[in-house]
Amino acid sequence: MHQMNLEVNGVSYPVVADASRNLLSVIRTEVGLTGTKEGCDDCECGACMVLLDGQPVNSCSYLAAQAEGRAITTIEGLAEGDELHPIQAKMLELGGVQCGFCTPGMIMSAHALLERTPQPSEEEIRIGLSGNLCRCTGYAKILAAVGEAAVEIR
Amino acid sequence: MTNETPVGGLGHSPIRFDGEAKVTGAARYPADSVPLSALHAKVVFSNQPHARMTSLSIDAAEAIEGVLFVLTAADVPVNEYGLTMFDQPVMIGVRDTGRSAVPADVSRWEADKIAVVVAETAAAAQAGAAAIEVTWEQLPIVADVATARSDDVLVHPEAGSNSYHNLKIRKGDIEAGWNSADVVIEGTYELPYQEHAYLQVEAGTAWIDDKGRITVETGGQWTHEDREQIAHALDLPEESVRVIYAAIGGAFGGKEDMTLQIVLALAAKRLHTEGIDRPVHCAWSREESIVGHHKRHRATIHAKLGATADGMITAVEADVWLDAGAYNYTSNKVLGNAHLSVGGAYEIPNARIDSHAVYTNAVPGGAFRGFGGPQGAFVAETQMNKLAAALDMDPVELRRQNTLRDGSEGISMALLPAGVTLPQVIDACAHAASEPVEAAPFAPIASLPADDRSVVHGRGFAAGYKNVGFSFGFPERCEAEIHLHGDAGDDAPTAAEVFHSGAEVGQGMHQACLQMTAQATGVPLDSVSGTFSDTAHTGDSGSASASRLSWMAGNSILGAAEEAEKAWRDGQRPAIGKFRFTPPPTETLDPETGAGQPNFAYGYMAQSVDVSVDVETGHIRVDRVISTHDVGRAINPQLVKGQVEGAVVQAHGYVMSENLVVEDGRIKNPRLSQYLIPGIGDVPEHVESVILELADPLGPWGVRGMAEMPYITYAPAVVAAVHDATGVWFDEFPLTPSRVLAGIRSS
Repeated sequence: MHQMNLEVNGVSYPVVADASRNLLSVIRTEVGLTGTKEGCDDCECGACMVLLDGQPVNSCSYLAAQAEGRAITTIEGLAEGDELHPIQAKMLELGGVQCGFCTPGMIMSAHALLERTPQPSEEEIRIGLSGNLCRCTGYAKILAAVGEAAVEIR
Repeated sequence: MTNETPVGGLGHSPIRFDGEAKVTGAARYPADSVPLSALHAKVVFSNQPHARMTSLSIDAAEAIEGVLFVLTAADVPVNEYGLTMFDQPVMIGVRDTGRSAVPADVSRWEADKIAVVVAETAAAAQAGAAAIEVTWEQLPIVADVATARSDDVLVHPEAGSNSYHNLKIRKGDIEAGWNSADVVIEGTYELPYQEHAYLQVEAGTAWIDDKGRITVETGGQWTHEDREQIAHALDLPEESVRVIYAAIGGAFGGKEDMTLQIVLALAAKRLHTEGIDRPVHCAWSREESIVGHHKRHRATIHAKLGATADGMITAVEADVWLDAGAYNYTSNKVLGNAHLSVGGAYEIPNARIDSHAVYTNAVPGGAFRGFGGPQGAFVAETQMNKLAAALDMDPVELRRQNTLRDGSEGISMALLPAGVTLPQVIDACAHAASEPVEAAPFAPIASLPADDRSVVHGRGFAAGYKNVGFSFGFPERCEAEIHLHGDAGDDAPTAAEVFHSGAEVGQGMHQACLQMTAQATGVPLDSVSGTFSDTAHTGDSGSASASRLSWMAGNSILGAAEEAEKAWRDGQRPAIGKFRFTPPPTETLDPETGAGQPNFAYGYMAQSVDVSVDVETGHIRVDRVISTHDVGRAINPQLVKGQVEGAVVQAHGYVMSENLVVEDGRIKNPRLSQYLIPGIGDVPEHVESVILELADPLGPWGVRGMAEMPYITYAPAVVAAVHDATGVWFDEFPLTPSRVLAGIRSS
């Protein structure tokens, strides 16, 4: 067993877990934040996307131990109190959420995109979200929501 | 009560009430509420497409540290289940233990279950699963319909033939139909499987609740049907079983049948018997999900269409073969839908249609958005488009001439239910397609940058219909309960509560229930709340399927509101109204002629699709989709458009890229990296929803069902557009670049 400290959404969590455990399972079961989803456990769907020092990472395929000393941001860390992040608010307003299972990972990818590309073209949004699968919406409303969130953030 | 539209009643698109939890990560899906005390279950598949079990030992598995026990067929009181036929054992065992209509010693599918290991941790359960010792006598594998049709090897000897469900239509005088035809179109179509690929794979937790009920929390499409099947297999009264739905991460028909429900209930019951007061949790991996649940049916359909030189249909013949796989699931009902739709939504004077569901040792076919409609419509609409080309006729005009309309007799020789609006839908779609694109299309991700000289363009059209609600004599019903709150002296209630079981699978059902309750009671939406999808608190609503739930739930809510209003006027506080809605009865089809009234309502749709095809690479880009629907009345226009856009993209995957490989009874590509559903870079450039609101005479506020319709006509419209661009007909898909290129080069 490996003892580690994980900094998730600005809070330090002491965790004891097998060194082989992936970050997704440790966030969900040891830290207890279940907003990050498992859709495939193989980097195929993007539902488990979190940010490591601002960079999007499929947490299913990343060892928890490797995340020590880095700032981990999950979907639970985006809203400021009751104030939704503009990406969250636009996803709701424009109907980018149906079953909602892809939504946390989708929003984390969008967040990383807008951090590095504050004024993305539609093609850049598509590329930024190309690692996140959605089976409900057909993506059009997600695309629109991220585009409008970028405008709002500016 | 007021007749004015309250704020947030019908026709508005307020933010869905369950949305905030979904964007903040607070929503609880079935794998998100695992108590710390929970034990973990592992379902063990047979991994045998066709074999008889000769021995099974769980001793070594139960000896593994952390394993509490292993459940086998011997633990199942009534070892059979199935949504419409009890033809599937809960678990395969050496001897037929328990009561079962189906022999339980034969594995007919690689994902038949042989054991459930319950352990302290998922890892211990996995280790236990690996320690199970089982031997098999191999039986010949019935790989596909072509093999099955000979009946040399029977998948279910008790059924007498692999072709276990067969339907006929004999309408008019087929010989006279061919004699009056100037043109005959004939083709054989091979239609592929499709995997649902909902993002949330199967998971659930079971425990004994405070009233002693075996309680299963999971995701599904019909709480009460899950409960009925659990109770049947466990030989318990339904009242002893409770089913609760957590937030559900997509379903599309794929969660209509049992996966974990019965085995979780068995595990909870065994724990209780042993005095262990702990919940038990099970979650499938993506691979287990793809291997372990049914698919859209692969099908072989041969069809013939005759018409006069001026484009009037004279005759239709079709032979439909659905690969039902190892167990029926809902294949008998899916077959019925394919049977009714394979001729198209047209006036057909003379018809011969024979349709068959066939057992094989492949993955079962079952419910998936459209429910046989997509296979039927692909053939019907491709035949019509070929006819238009053969007659050099406008494909829209051909449909205008032959379309079903009010007063038409349907293919099963019964009048269509009133409110046939296909003529208006066809016209609206054709009109919208002639308009310029509203906004500039998005720039594509040009994975294969096209040489302009090699890119050709085309446009295709398709139209159709889909029944709303369950067919063929099923006892359709939907229950709702409404409570109106307020003080004794209040003229009108200040708050309303609705109790409803309708499954929220992502489509917005619960939001629609609240809006319909606001509309029905006159209580403003922000004072309406709901309790949903828990058999302990909500009545039987029927399934979230067949585009039925808004239509059925709306009628049940209208009835409950009326009852609650009476109680309110009688001074009851809270005023409680309960209502069980039943639509007009339907009929099974006559076994020899197919005559009968199969349905009580329909939705109508038409689609126009523009494509660009790179004839050097075989790469297709869909530039524009006009998806036209009569929804009767849009309860929430944003949710309606969400269904259209989502269905179109799901159908885009079906026709363009999704290719499930099943050989000798085994799925060869059970991963999302090998089975390619559309990503955000793969979708049509521009999807336009054209929404008509022409009331369904029986629909609540005129509402029609609509969630399947945008899926059904998309594939034939794409294939017609590709033909328009290239001159090549594709009778088989997905239209991968290699298939398209081969088609172009061989033409």
